[in-house]
Amino acid sequence: MQAETKTKKYNRQKRENRYGAMFVTPYICGFILFQGLPFLIAIGLAFTNVRYISKIHDAKFIGFGNFIKMFHDQTTMDALGRTALYSLLYVPLIMIIGFTMAYLVNKGIHFKNLVRSMFFLPYVANMVAVSVVFTLLLGPKGPFIKALLAIGVENPPFFLYDMKTALPTVVCIAVWKGVGLNLITYLAALQGVSGDLLEAAEIDGAGKIKRILHVIIPMVSPTTFFLLISSVITSLQNLTIIQVLTQGGPGQSTTVMSINIIRTAFTRFETGYASAQAVVMFVIVMVFTIIQWQGQKKWVNY
Amino acid sequence: MSLKLRKNLRSWTVTIILMVIGLLCIYPFIFMISSSFKISADVLGKPLQIIPDKFILSNYTDLFGDPYYDFAQWYKNTIVMVVTTIVLKVFIITYTAYGFAKIKFKGNGVLFLILMSALMIPGDIMLIPRYSIFKNLHILDSMWSLVLPSCFDIYFVFMLRQAFIAIPDSISEAAEIDGCHHFTIYSRIILPLAKPSIVTMVLFTFVWSWNDYMGPYIYISTISKQMLSVGIKLFTEGQVADPALQMSSATLVLIPILILFFFTQRYFVEGSTSSAVKG
Repeated sequence: MQAETKTKKYNRQKRENRYGAMFVTPYICGFILFQGLPFLIAIGLAFTNVRYISKIHDAKFIGFGNFIKMFHDQTTMDALGRTALYSLLYVPLIMIIGFTMAYLVNKGIHFKNLVRSMFFLPYVANMVAVSVVFTLLLGPKGPFIKALLAIGVENPPFFLYDMKTALPTVVCIAVWKGVGLNLITYLAALQGVSGDLLEAAEIDGAGKIKRILHVIIPMVSPTTFFLLISSVITSLQNLTIIQVLTQGGPGQSTTVMSINIIRTAFTRFETGYASAQAVVMFVIVMVFTIIQWQGQKKWVNY
Repeated sequence: MSLKLRKNLRSWTVTIILMVIGLLCIYPFIFMISSSFKISADVLGKPLQIIPDKFILSNYTDLFGDPYYDFAQWYKNTIVMVVTTIVLKVFIITYTAYGFAKIKFKGNGVLFLILMSALMIPGDIMLIPRYSIFKNLHILDSMWSLVLPSCFDIYFVFMLRQAFIAIPDSISEAAEIDGCHHFTIYSRIILPLAKPSIVTMVLFTFVWSWNDYMGPYIYISTISKQMLSVGIKLFTEGQVADPALQMSSATLVLIPILILFFFTQRYFVEGSTSSAVKG
């Protein structure tokens, strides 16, 4: 009797295995081809001197040559610095604006859904359309510069066309485009903050600022942690936004790592070297994520 | 009474402030659409005027009549690409997610964990190697180089597996006793029950595929096979300095997204908070 159920169970497991294979094998094949393999090739290429991507079979192993070259290559080092600057501007801005807006929207305003949608709209907009509009709006004949002139600013900045202001302008546009996602994520978290707790704090004599600092911010810290990691990653994946807005210009002023990698690969045809740069970026992202993960114990309350 | 009044006054003040900021937020889109119906001189001449003096359609008819840039063709390419992606992706992703969520085969957990760890790999790193893979598969310079990688997206396998797991096993077990096998349970029971999650996936896929710029920019070289995003960019960078034409071309690529967003905001907002969709 027991043996019979055992065989039955065994047969059932065998059947499940067969079905499992039928359901997941096609995906696994595609996954290997389009995700796994490219990743491994990228790492492999980083150690070779391949020039043209189409002549991949000529690859010669050169060890850490590409990585050493990177640290002597001023253009790439400058790009790395600009990437850091970009992230240092982008992450705090999007986190603070996202939280502040969510806090205000959560305060029981009218037309909540309409307001929420207005902030979220740029997130789904097409980047090319956005760039065409902003190039015109911020251009030398555009309304922004005219308005600045009208209120008496002598030498208004040329935003995207000025070496000094191009990078901060790109960051602002990126924040404008992405902040909607942070806002609605924070909004969902704020709706979960218990009203009783806030009331108790109020009775204990905590003022508005104190309530925000000591009750609300700690309560939403898991969301902050999640958004911080995803915002850092987004800030490093800025290829499309910069490519369509400035293509790395004027001069080199917005040439961050992602742009530098694409240029190295597809205009200078140094595929191996470009892959090495991409691998370095990947390692940097991983290190940052691990550091944040380790550090979360100190300030995230679950 | 006065407290209530004060509270009311405050909430209206905050509403008005947020409305103004919100309007500033969407001003670029309002500017774009209204300019696309203006004569060129008025685009920068009267930037704050939202309703044009006279509605003109020539900015659009000029685009579709352009001898060098085939907008109709780009539109068609993009629609075909996006629809193909959605149809294939819905099938592949839900089918796979069912396998991971509802079939207790050996190695399920480990395999899924490997997939999840791949979620950490940024897409940029794969741009270069994919070029050579596409070349070997002979899908370079065709829409398949955009469709296929999207169909094997990892994120949505995760999202739909979560949604399928939330459907109680008792439902599928009852069906199994009635003699249904996995294919029937998948297509007749699970798919209809997971409709909201599938809709979210369809919407985000539409937006991402439609908006994709780097994909077509790198993998598609023949201009007649190009997608709208890259086409518009070529057009606006090309000989055209006419601001009204630039705005009508930008409107052309944005309008399907705006319409979609207008009718399905709820799905977008809820979809991104429930599972925090990646950028």
